[in-house]
Amino acid sequence: MPEHELWLTALFNNYLSGPANAALSLVGMHAENPAKPWANFVTMEILVVAILMIVAASLRPKLSVDQPGRLQHTFEVLYGFLRGQSEEVIGHHGPHFLRLFATLFFFILSCNLIGIIPTFESPTMFVPVTLGCALVTFGYYHYMGLKEQGAGNYLKHFTGGVPLLLMPLMVPIEIISHLARPLSLTIRLFANMFAGEQVTVVFLMLTYLIAPVIFMGLHVFVAFLQAYIFALLTMVYVQSAVSHDH
Amino acid sequence: MKFKWMICMLALLVFAGPIMAQEGAAPAAGPAVNWVAIGFGIAMALASGMCALAQGKATASAVESMARNPGASAVIRGALILGLALIESLALYTLVVIFYQLLVK
Repeated sequence: MPEHELWLTALFNNYLSGPANAALSLVGMHAENPAKPWANFVTMEILVVAILMIVAASLRPKLSVDQPGRLQHTFEVLYGFLRGQSEEVIGHHGPHFLRLFATLFFFILSCNLIGIIPTFESPTMFVPVTLGCALVTFGYYHYMGLKEQGAGNYLKHFTGGVPLLLMPLMVPIEIISHLARPLSLTIRLFANMFAGEQVTVVFLMLTYLIAPVIFMGLHVFVAFLQAYIFALLTMVYVQSAVSHDH
Repeated sequence: MKFKWMICMLALLVFAGPIMAQEGAAPAAGPAVNWVAIGFGIAMALASGMCALAQGKATASAVESMARNPGASAVIRGALILGLALIESLALYTLVVIFYQLLVK
């Protein structure tokens, strides 16, 4: 995949390549091209996180109960939506896990949407980013399941309640299906974002204005949808790990 | 009827044979038929076609159940969107494999 350097990445590479190479050698890795250790998706992720933090920090002092501004309204709508979804999927203690769901949702949504701005690129178009998000989900739901139900009880879930003789058949199937979850999360998000960009680029080569705009509009819709699907699937996995047979 | 449909679909997979032979080698000896590209085209078309069928079935049953019970529209719409996104992702796996073969190999 041709790696065209964005202006932001060029900025990082010009001024911060020394610290980046030092950090990489601390972990024992080396950049492919020591003059350009920063990849596009790393700088884009940093930009997304910086933007999210600035928006949140600028919202915090203006929070008010009687006179909410527009930004507060937007965040309230999104937060209420996520909270309602988590209650619907997980039950009454769903909002306990809301921190992760909301973080994933806002991060992935912002990463998806920033690619639409002309000189920026979605970090979620690259497998390492989506793999990172999927591994966070994977580790989180297993950790929450172990914490909630205790180790032995949680591992018994892998058998799925079949009779003892069928267990050697059931456990590998359950393990494979559990391993398939982060794989499918990764590839779903990556493929949607990558295909959306490729389709827009191809149509930009073929026609000039109208058709790429339509596909970019579809890409915006898909960005929202995929961020929502990722958060929803995380909720479903946490629910399957945490739910007791009360 | 459904059995014949499955047999027809499986017959198309006969075309998959030559692709395995050609993918490692450089494109085509002989009359320069690019089997690799044909294989990619058929694979993607098949994946998109079956994805469309499945999504059509999902949408049809969602719309019918919304018509029978308009009060449950919100819940049905949520389940529909989730189902459509999951089915869509299956077609996209094929696209990922194709792009991997094209760009990384």
